[in-house]
Amino acid sequence: MSFGLALFFIVLAAVLGAALMAWMSSRRERTLETVLAAAQEELRRQQDNQAQAIHTTKLAALGQMVAGVAHEINTPLGFVKSNVEVVNELLRDYEAAVARLLSGLDLVTSGGAAGLEKAAPVLARARRELTSQNALTDAKDLLRDCLDGLKTIAELVLNLKGFSRVDREGTDLADLNDSLKAALTVVAHQVRDKIKVVQEFEANLPRVRCVPAQLNQVFLNLISNAAQAMDDRGTLTLTTRGLPSGAVEVAVSDTGSGIPDKILPRIFDPFFTTKKVGEGTGLGLSIVHKIVKAHGGSIHVKTKMGEGTTFTVTLPLDFTQPNVRAA
Amino acid sequence: MEEQNLRIRVLFVDDEERILRALRALFRDADVFTTSNPKEAPKLARDHDVDVVVCDQRMPEVLGVDVLREVRHVAPRAIRILLTGYADLKAVLSSVNEGEVYRFVNKPWDNAELRELVHQAGLIARETPALAPEPVPEKEQDTARGEVGILVIADDPLTTQRLREILESFYRVQFAITIDRALQVLEQFEAGVVICDIELAQGDVTPFVKALKQHHPHLQTIAITDRADAQLAVDLVNEGQVFRLLLKPVRLGSCRLAVDAAIAQYWKLRRNPTALRRFTAQPAGGDKPASGGLSESLLNRIKQLPARIAGITRFD
Repeated sequence: MSFGLALFFIVLAAVLGAALMAWMSSRRERTLETVLAAAQEELRRQQDNQAQAIHTTKLAALGQMVAGVAHEINTPLGFVKSNVEVVNELLRDYEAAVARLLSGLDLVTSGGAAGLEKAAPVLARARRELTSQNALTDAKDLLRDCLDGLKTIAELVLNLKGFSRVDREGTDLADLNDSLKAALTVVAHQVRDKIKVVQEFEANLPRVRCVPAQLNQVFLNLISNAAQAMDDRGTLTLTTRGLPSGAVEVAVSDTGSGIPDKILPRIFDPFFTTKKVGEGTGLGLSIVHKIVKAHGGSIHVKTKMGEGTTFTVTLPLDFTQPNVRAA
Repeated sequence: MEEQNLRIRVLFVDDEERILRALRALFRDADVFTTSNPKEAPKLARDHDVDVVVCDQRMPEVLGVDVLREVRHVAPRAIRILLTGYADLKAVLSSVNEGEVYRFVNKPWDNAELRELVHQAGLIARETPALAPEPVPEKEQDTARGEVGILVIADDPLTTQRLREILESFYRVQFAITIDRALQVLEQFEAGVVICDIELAQGDVTPFVKALKQHHPHLQTIAITDRADAQLAVDLVNEGQVFRLLLKPVRLGSCRLAVDAAIAQYWKLRRNPTALRRFTAQPAGGDKPASGGLSESLLNRIKQLPARIAGITRFD
């Protein structure tokens, strides 16, 4: 065998080897590419799902809010509407009695004994009508209730405004006492019937820079969860206080069932839920967690089975300025 | 004196004082009692022998449904009306099935309508005796089961099959899958109870149910629906005086209870036909006829069905 032939075989082997290597590596690359693409696709799908779920919870919160506020407005609307109509009737009766009185007076002034004689029964009747009806006193009472009811409606609408900024992403300074009150109005129909609400709000609470609509959602979620934890009856306590370190603390406590140790570590996980299918998306607390984090804050939970649960949210006064951030 | 007696006595129950003041002013021509403490309501209704009780549904601690159920026992003569903010199905179902309310009124109410409704209810309560709330004795109930016919109108095979299993060996039942067939049955067979699936293939049968009750108030209707629609339920009661409401899938226990109660009701009414006025369906809102959507010929057939309650007709 000549040297040349040997060389040829060596070169051939090398070329074949290289080609094989290249082919294998390209195959590996292709496999990697496929895996990567699949992973990306999966990620995109997951993100879509989550965005969809977040959107769904937003819509659910909106629906809940509309139902709540509609219910709250209904009561004052009911008596205001009725009262206005009744006052109208009372005034009509009063008007008739006054007209009778005036016609009696005309008879008196028309002169003569005959006029007086005719006037007497008319005046007596007008007097009876005016005194027995109490129309004016009643009307005044009813109108006072109307004003009262309209004030209630105005407050409800004002609270609604805070919630209407659902998609406004800008930050603003907010009084968290007001945010809590607004959230409370919105879930009032869940809470009011059997649950006692205690508000321990610190006066002159420092205002917090935040995305108000997002914090509203946090409080709405926490209050709504608390209400649901107390199926039948109990006390819901909302506390706010300013911390010396320059932060604000909001606590939502219920006297409900408590959270079992087994599931406690998972309550902030997305899609974790203890509710029946269809009742909850399982995104409530994970969104709460996400929003609080985004505000540079923290959330803690303290719970005891059969006694209740407290969620405490601590928020820095201004999360956009890390230096001012609370410890 | 005569005029004093004509003033109806009405009790309003609501946790909101301002609502009570508004109602008191609205009903200044009646003898009005009010309480914001629902627990007092049954006693007040009994002590003052009121004709009508109007009760709010959503109050702290107690639901209106529960108050009215209690009122039904201690003051059976009083006609019960439930005021609801926004109707939730659960409340409507239990107030129909347990409280046997006369009408639902939505908040905010219409003054003229509420006044008319309460006065009319007051007159009915004055003029017609109430049926005793006590159940019919078991032995009599057995006789009634054997005598009072039941007509089932349903075309969904699952529901029909279910009802056959539940009813056939205990009651005298006839089945119909269309309204036309149902009328044929009613023309020949004395039915005291009509069980009707509201969603037949031929379309919404609520106008039929309403017209049937309007012209034959002795018939006790049990409506079956799978629509979780509170307003539909409210309409069925207000305009159709439906006796019981069942949700699909029909359950053995609740179905038997409802049918037995309906038979007992029919039985009591047969003994005491003057009480019928309490259960008469009226067309909704003034001049709108309850027959809305029914053809003239169908309506005529409904009107011409033999009215059997006055005399007792025997089954063949």
